[in-house]
Amino acid sequence: MEGTALPLEGGGLEGLTLRRPPPPGKKAKKAVLFFEVEILDAKTREKLCFLDKVEPQATIAEIKNLFTKTHPQWYPARQSLRLEPKGRSLKDEDVLQSLPVGTTATFYFRDLGAQISWVTVFLTEYAGPLLIYLLFYFRVPFLYGPRYDFTASRHAVVHLACACHSFHYIKRLLETLFVHRFSHGTMPLRNIFKNCTYYWGFAAWMAYYINHPLYTPPAYGDEQVKLALAVFLFCQLGNFSIHVALRNLRPAGSKTRKIPYPTRNPFTWLFLLVSCPNYTYEVGSWIGFTIMTQCLPVALFSLVGFVQMAIWAQGKHRSYLREFRDYPPLRSPIVPFLL
Amino acid sequence: MSRVFLTWAVTHSVKEVQTEDSVLLFVVAWTITEIIRYSFYTFSLLNHLPYLIKWARYTLFIILYPMGVSGELLTIYAALPFVRQSGLYSISLPNKYNFSFDYYTFLILVMISYIPLFPQLYFHMLRQRRKVLSHTEEHKKSE
Repeated sequence: MEGTALPLEGGGLEGLTLRRPPPPGKKAKKAVLFFEVEILDAKTREKLCFLDKVEPQATIAEIKNLFTKTHPQWYPARQSLRLEPKGRSLKDEDVLQSLPVGTTATFYFRDLGAQISWVTVFLTEYAGPLLIYLLFYFRVPFLYGPRYDFTASRHAVVHLACACHSFHYIKRLLETLFVHRFSHGTMPLRNIFKNCTYYWGFAAWMAYYINHPLYTPPAYGDEQVKLALAVFLFCQLGNFSIHVALRNLRPAGSKTRKIPYPTRNPFTWLFLLVSCPNYTYEVGSWIGFTIMTQCLPVALFSLVGFVQMAIWAQGKHRSYLREFRDYPPLRSPIVPFLL
Repeated sequence: MSRVFLTWAVTHSVKEVQTEDSVLLFVVAWTITEIIRYSFYTFSLLNHLPYLIKWARYTLFIILYPMGVSGELLTIYAALPFVRQSGLYSISLPNKYNFSFDYYTFLILVMISYIPLFPQLYFHMLRQRRKVLSHTEEHKKSE
């Protein structure tokens, strides 16, 4: 009120104060209530950091940045801050004053371990199969006997398979760079070793047999290959359409989550029946590739991939159901009506 | 898991190794171990565990475990030439599934896997021993 009220003299009008906007140059002093934040280790309850004079509108992300200043080895991506030692992690976007804390907020910290960005992991795990397959395709020395070094297969399907496999991983690399909008920036570092072992290992195993000098082409010949190619391309297009549709659900730089719906693109109509049609199409692509190459390791890779994607799809489906009351009941996670 | 493998996939499948001494070695080691281990579980469930059983379970493994492992490794090693000769459980190219599996190489890999696995399990049991038996000591002293 200081300096802003025009005091009125005389009786009868004591309760009334006329306010006029503060004269330029004189800032109105607002009583800002600063918060204090203390950060404790979730396991040992040791006090790790005390921050005073924290703005009430500060976000968790900003608090994480302040914490990093006192403990530089714990960069924000590896911090998990929670309200209770065993509670769930607070989100970066959460605002301090909207949390159920008093003016002295207590957060519990857990170290998530060394982190690596999703983009880095994806690029590494996809670049591997692309290159490894080509090593076998070109029959680089020491993979097969010396008399086969740098020879080419005489089966057309082997060349086609190389094209399909390479196309698949190039598509994945480009999608990682230009299409996907990731919810999380990082994942634990050990994942890159796990994931690369899986992708690179299976790629080498499959490529070894398909490009082997003793490879046996599919039993039903050209018809089998043509059918398989059709399935493969159809599912690749489908998978891409879903990725684009999911991207368009989310504005750049945001982490919004919405229910995906079919668009004008017919490939997206699978959303009517399934929560994660991208996984459905992905399994379809690999089934196509299996039929094309008639190779047991490819079938096994498809099976393992299907199991993993089914688990992810069920998790995603469940979180959709939890988050949205009006989630379409007809949808199943990955396989229409079944799974 | 290794029990099933040794029994079915090695000793039963490769008849020629069934007369080996190494088979006797691991069968004796396993038998004694299992008798003690299941007695331990039974008595624990009945809430009446004689100290002798607990002691036996956490002490005799020191001899029995290496004994068993030696028996297992020697048996697999003995089976190798017969597997190579007969092509047991192996499939080679070309075939219409474009798949191959060499059981001989697989057995060698299994033997190699003992190198990281055995020390881990053995030292885990040693740690357990220290924890369990010293706990009983304290319990006894406090009586």
